[in-house]
Amino acid sequence: MKPAPQKRRKRNLLRAEGVEHVDWKDTALLREFLSDRGKIRARRITGLTPAEQKDVARAIKNAREMALLPYPVKKG
Amino acid sequence: MSRHYEVMVILDPSLDERTVAPTLENFLKVIRNAGGSVENVDIWGRRRLSYEINKNAEGIYAVLELISEPDDVKELDRQLSLQETVLRTKVVRRQEVRGAKRAAKIAAKA
Repeated sequence: MKPAPQKRRKRNLLRAEGVEHVDWKDTALLREFLSDRGKIRARRITGLTPAEQKDVARAIKNAREMALLPYPVKKG
Repeated sequence: MSRHYEVMVILDPSLDERTVAPTLENFLKVIRNAGGSVENVDIWGRRRLSYEINKNAEGIYAVLELISEPDDVKELDRQLSLQETVLRTKVVRRQEVRGAKRAAKIAAKA
């Protein structure tokens, strides 16, 4: 089997934006890590380190609880 | 030990936004009387909710920053959530920036 083609791996870390501390109130930033359906993007897409991915996931879940971000929606 | 907390409150959108600050102030007495301090009160105002809460599509958001004892924050949270005009609350410890603790330790040693 051939290796899968590189799929839109971002690898930009978004640390490119100079974010040192992920704030769960910063919805504009967190939205970058959500798919159209509101799912959290996998690390292989976001290119974050495990620690960063964990921070982002935690922040998104906190924001969801306060209705700042949507929960994933099922479609089809 | 006093800690740094962030308390987010979502209030009923039918409230008059001008009454929000005095109402919250009333609740913050809990913290003040117990010897904690209120660092900041940020009222975001009316904002669309990502999903309905109690049939409301909007809510009035406010973020309180406090330094207080854990038990006092718990009491504040309890009193707020008893209020019918409060749709939701969330208490979060202010997180230290990753590595800040270690950096401080190293600095203390040097």
